[in-house]
Amino acid sequence: MASQTKTKILARHAANAALNIPLPGISMRGAHDLGADEPFYPLDEQIIAGAVEALESGQTHYVDVPGIAPLREAIAKHLNAACGTSWQSANILVTAGMQEARFLTIQIIGAQYDQIGVPTVAHPGVQKALGVRRRQVVSLSVETEQGCLPSLDEIAATLKKGCRLFYLESPSRLSGAAYTQNQVARIADMLAQHDAAAIWDQGLARWVDEGCSSLAALAEGSTAAIGEAWHGIGLGSWLVGSIAAPTDWIAPMQSQKQIMAICTSTASQYAALAASEIFGETHQQRLGQMRGQRAAALAMASELGLDLVPGAANNLLALHADASARGRLAEAGIDFAAGEDFGACDIVRLNIGAATVTAIEALG
Amino acid sequence: MSKKKQAAGTNLLYQLIAEARTYDDVIVMGRGDPDFDTPAHIVEAAKHAMIHHQDDVAPPAGLPALREAIAARVKRVNNIDIDPASEVVVTNGGQEALFLMVLAALGEGDELIVPEPNYNTYADSLAFAGGVKVAVQTAHEADFRADPAVVRAAITEKTRALLLVSPNNPAANVISPADMRALVDIAIQHDLMILADDIYDLFVYDDFVHTSPASLPGGKERSLTLNALSKAYSMTGWRLGWVVGPADLMARVAELKAAISGGTSIISQHAGIAALTGPQDAVDMMAAAYARRRRLVLDALDEMGMQYGVPQGGQFVFANIAFTGMDSAEVAQRILSEQHVLAYPGSAFSKERKDYLRMTFLQPEEQLIEGLRRMKLAMASL
Ligand SMILES: Cc1ncc(COP(=O)(O)O)c(C=O)c1O
Repeated sequence: MASQTKTKILARHAANAALNIPLPGISMRGAHDLGADEPFYPLDEQIIAGAVEALESGQTHYVDVPGIAPLREAIAKHLNAACGTSWQSANILVTAGMQEARFLTIQIIGAQYDQIGVPTVAHPGVQKALGVRRRQVVSLSVETEQGCLPSLDEIAATLKKGCRLFYLESPSRLSGAAYTQNQVARIADMLAQHDAAAIWDQGLARWVDEGCSSLAALAEGSTAAIGEAWHGIGLGSWLVGSIAAPTDWIAPMQSQKQIMAICTSTASQYAALAASEIFGETHQQRLGQMRGQRAAALAMASELGLDLVPGAANNLLALHADASARGRLAEAGIDFAAGEDFGACDIVRLNIGAATVTAIEALG
Repeated sequence: MSKKKQAAGTNLLYQLIAEARTYDDVIVMGRGDPDFDTPAHIVEAAKHAMIHHQDDVAPPAGLPALREAIAARVKRVNNIDIDPASEVVVTNGGQEALFLMVLAALGEGDELIVPEPNYNTYADSLAFAGGVKVAVQTAHEADFRADPAVVRAAITEKTRALLLVSPNNPAANVISPADMRALVDIAIQHDLMILADDIYDLFVYDDFVHTSPASLPGGKERSLTLNALSKAYSMTGWRLGWVVGPADLMARVAELKAAISGGTSIISQHAGIAALTGPQDAVDMMAAAYARRRRLVLDALDEMGMQYGVPQGGQFVFANIAFTGMDSAEVAQRILSEQHVLAYPGSAFSKERKDYLRMTFLQPEEQLIEGLRRMKLAMASL
């Protein structure tokens, strides 16, 4: 006999469209996978050594909920150096990857506000995290010419409507577009005037030439900065992310982390710790390589007259691509991230890598 | 009254853990973290994966090879038939599995029947989901058995699911095959889902037998069952667990998993394959050690004249301290401050259990003996 209880459960989930949105892969699976969230690089021996040493010395037990102390310290140090913040270890919560950081911030900081302002174009993980327990969302329209970021006017208008918490990506997870230093300063001013706060995804910030401004530097007391630890180092599938936030936000997120995971894998944390020691230099090399590959891809795109979405992060690019162009990408055996999963139709996101030029040719 | 500000629930535990860390000679009989390190062949497999499987990417539900190993394990140990492709989701430990099961099965206002005392994260997860806990109290005099008739009486129009954690934490009772049959029948008659937590299924003592509700006729289609490598393989730090259940519900669990954390560490997943498919002698060795230690603890409690529910399985004993006339939070605090022994107060599990202490037997025998000796001194001084 069919179970009515089960039918009701399934109906409740089916009604929650956000949960059906697919997520991009965490990390590239091979040269032709240009759709994943992180590029693939072989792991540096030092990173592996860090994880192995920890496991062999018995670090196979539960560790502190917010993360192992040296990793929290390393993350705080790196963020402070890159963003001009003054976070302490106590401001850092280590998460099991970027999605857990989205989920914890959106659900737990979100619970302290009536509404949350979310751009219509953002990483699909944002809608998914919102879908687990419905929050009242105010949609911020975005401008494709601005790389799918909400304009400052749109943020101002949303503040006027009474919204006091925002989820913003800079760089955008779709286009890599980032707010300029001046724009970030104005956002900080507007939020301060309204006593408003932000969850600020800056996971891709280091792929921007000259770096990219963090809202946290100007509004440390009302910003939760989230990102991978560390994007592009090769630990994508090991799932380490972080939240940097005022301690009165860290406390409830830490309680929730205990409830849903207890702590983050020790091997992953020690690997991320070892990675923190080589991250700066390794990243610079990779950034240089990416910059070259991206320039070549852009040159090819302009030669073919392709319509680019403006972006600043060197690890990806987004282009307009209709169904037939996508078909050609698929024929060429190239995986891409579909813009509609991010909320933007007829756009594809391609990672920068050896196959990006081939992808561009297929699109042209 | 103790001088410290009284925290509650998990926060109370964290406060005690923090104090325990300040003592060099502390003996920890609190946290459910086995003292054994992860068996070496599992660590080896992880190392191998770090070098040779760097470009592996798993879907949110987990590596296919691991899902197959899990399906084989639940068939072998729990007698549940599972399709690895559609009926397994790999999780960040049993804890995430638990959170997912609760979120998948219960929504706003839905009632979950919870035999008490029980693992308190169920109540926390249920609160997140907006569900309502309906506690069914059990007694140490009856070894914390949840009488199916009492469970049936607790069902209302809003009841959607039944929680069955066997062996239990902290109560350490094992649901007998006959009771399990009766409980599954109740779930069928009242059209309830079953949330089953088998995390301690390899640790069962004396003649007690573990039964998974999903292994019984009519059980599988309405059960979500969790397990993890944490306790069985001493892998608490790896964060690897799973949920199994019928494909239609598991599709929802997989969606929730993607929304909450997106995936599970690839290295832990490879370690998990090695744990489940490799030699099992370390598990047998650990189970035998826990059985010996359990005896030591029970003998010591008998000497102290303490009453308890006989631990039929698991890694704990939940002992009654009503004779002290004191609140367990205060008793735990005094044992810690005076004798540097950490035991968990029952009040951290539920407000009805202020006169219980939970002790683990997850430390080497010499330490356990010393811990029990100190505990005797502390109890005598109360
Ligand atoms: C009954 C029960 N379920 C689930 C868990 C979660 O275990 P873990 O997340 O470490 O696998 C625990 C941990 O103590 C437990 O006692």
